[in-house]
Amino acid sequence: MMYWSELAWLIPIIPLISFVVVGFLGNKAFKRIENGGYFAILMAAVACFLSLMVAFEILTGGYPGGTFIQSMNWMTVPGFTFNMGIYIDTLTALMLIVVSFISTLVVIYSVGYMHEEGEKKRRYYAEISLFICAMLGLVLSSNFLQMFIFWEIVGLCSYLLIGFWNTKPSAASAAKKAFLVTRIGDIMFMLGLFIFFVWFQGNLDFSYIFNNVDAFLGGNDLLTLGTFFIFGGAIGKSAQFPLHDWLPDAMEGPTTVSALIHAATMVKAGVYLVARTYPVMVETPNTMLIIAIIGGITALMAATMALNNPNIKRVLAYSTISQLGYMFLALGTGGYLFFHTQETNAGFMSGMFHLMNHAFFKALLFLSAGAVIHAVHTEDMRLMGGLSKKLKITSLVMLIGCISIAGIPPLSGFWSKDEILAVVFETGAENPLFYVLYIMGILTAFMTAFYMFRLWYMTFAGEPRDHHVYDHAHESPKVMWVPLAILAALAFGSGFALFFGFSEAIQPTMFHPHAETWTQILEIVFTDVLTYLSIIAAVLGIFLAYLMYRKRSINPDVFVATPARRKIYGLLLARYGFTAAYDWIGLKVVYGVAKAVDWFDRKVIDGIVNGFAIVTIKVGNIVRRGQTGFVQSYAALVVAGVSIIVILLFLFGGVI
Amino acid sequence: MIAIEYFIGLSAILFIIGAVGVLTRKSAIVVLMCIELMLNAANINFVAFSAYSGNMNGMVFALVSIAIAAAEVAVGLAIVLNLYKARDTIGLDEVNLLRW
Repeated sequence: MMYWSELAWLIPIIPLISFVVVGFLGNKAFKRIENGGYFAILMAAVACFLSLMVAFEILTGGYPGGTFIQSMNWMTVPGFTFNMGIYIDTLTALMLIVVSFISTLVVIYSVGYMHEEGEKKRRYYAEISLFICAMLGLVLSSNFLQMFIFWEIVGLCSYLLIGFWNTKPSAASAAKKAFLVTRIGDIMFMLGLFIFFVWFQGNLDFSYIFNNVDAFLGGNDLLTLGTFFIFGGAIGKSAQFPLHDWLPDAMEGPTTVSALIHAATMVKAGVYLVARTYPVMVETPNTMLIIAIIGGITALMAATMALNNPNIKRVLAYSTISQLGYMFLALGTGGYLFFHTQETNAGFMSGMFHLMNHAFFKALLFLSAGAVIHAVHTEDMRLMGGLSKKLKITSLVMLIGCISIAGIPPLSGFWSKDEILAVVFETGAENPLFYVLYIMGILTAFMTAFYMFRLWYMTFAGEPRDHHVYDHAHESPKVMWVPLAILAALAFGSGFALFFGFSEAIQPTMFHPHAETWTQILEIVFTDVLTYLSIIAAVLGIFLAYLMYRKRSINPDVFVATPARRKIYGLLLARYGFTAAYDWIGLKVVYGVAKAVDWFDRKVIDGIVNGFAIVTIKVGNIVRRGQTGFVQSYAALVVAGVSIIVILLFLFGGVI
Repeated sequence: MIAIEYFIGLSAILFIIGAVGVLTRKSAIVVLMCIELMLNAANINFVAFSAYSGNMNGMVFALVSIAIAAAEVAVGLAIVLNLYKARDTIGLDEVNLLRW
């Protein structure tokens, strides 16, 4: 009997082939056909097909035991063995579907979006293929070390693609910022790995750790620190507070890159990491609490920053940060609740559910924004307006995305967001802090609905604000709107996965999930007053946006009417000063430390070395006077020396 | 038979005369001759100890030493000749280019 899972090792290899072939031959062999773009699509599609097959097999229980593990010995050090391998459970399967499917759509879309880039397309398609390879490798990894390696490669791809227009100084510095800020997280991840390495006695394989986690418990301070550092890696990669500030800057890259890497996949790697480590994480409730709090803060703070930003991509970037905060809130809350009650709860499931739904609707929103940018050649929403007449399909699919993220039933965003908020409220019974987090979550839901519809109204509704821009706008080619339509269908419908056993399939076995029929789920959801609270929050947000930006009965200028309001407005635009703080840390603290170290190096280290040299030269200058050049003085020295030796031999040598 | 002390005394006197000559004389020729004196002092010791102990090895060594001394004088005189050609002097106190 042959299983699809046995072919899983091919999944990352196939995009890697595309990277090598396109990277080396793109401009020669594929000159006529989009500089390798079609080849990249083909390879991504093959990887996607395999991923879907494998995921289907795992999710439907087609593979006996449910978890496919394959590993080979990579490196043996006395006492430790490192393996390279494949670990596929339902969580991996979910990520496989999301990553491979969205990757394929984005590469197809790129053919239209990157059409005017000429020979640079070779670099683009090669790098995006490498990214797909690394991201699929990351989710398939069978141990933490292998995951860390792919984790670094996706970071590299992110850096390369943010800086795709590397002649633009803002893009180059944004790439550097993204790389350096996520690096702080990577270092924490590495520290976490060191602690895990010690704690789990030198074996970082998932299967080993998850099977033996009970054997290693007790005296959990070090383990808490370890899981916290692992989460630190997620903070950097998933742009959580306080390392969130690189993600808005990362919007300097092409919109396709923002959609794929900075919305749908790479930033989810942090969430995936926490979810992957869940069997260990749930044993350390303090870390779970920190995760929930950071998630809640991030969700609220990023949402406020999205309220008044005029840049269409920046708004979506803040929205991404905010929604990632929701996922961490869900994961942290679920784990905390599980530790204290040991009962099944929806925390983990809703986090993962939101991850999937968010990947679809956020990719849709970004790609739609890309279609708008492609049409009007500006990212400033103040220059748009009235575009729905020209971009009919785009405006429609974007509306679906907006409704979905705002959380209006029955679109996908509603189901997962509601589950998250329900779990957070439930956990309030254990720790009142979670009531605060719940309120933050509701506020975030309100703001999310507001800024998404503000974006939609400013872009598509009303009268054109800039006629030059408006006249040049045109609907995107088919190669762009077909992927949009597919994503719109998923953004609409991916929430219904809840009714097809998503919950039981995705829960870790330690949760002992029990199946519920779809009527039961509907009953639970719609008999809960909290559900209506979150729907009301969303509707209020949409209504406010409608009043302000469509009907114009509230003038948006009212928010900058007084100096105090203007100050808050400016504070939001300045991202609460985080950008300035990063720059301050970079320029003053890091540069200051660097200067001090430089001084130490130049003065002390070099001083010691140069001091030796100077002393040697001085002494040499004195001693060399002995070399007179007169043969007879040398002879005299020889005689004197021999005489002294002879005398000493007579005195002490016992010759006599 | 003459007591060995006389031979050793003669050899010591010759050696010291040679050493003092090497250290003090300016002419390269005289210095070469003084080196010969020191070598011959050593030869006298070889022969004297050889005769005294009845072992003929010392005699053989003296002959070898004389042969080497001849070779050394040939080389030394060649250097002195070249020195004279190059610098018009054989005074050792004027030849000190190889120094600090």
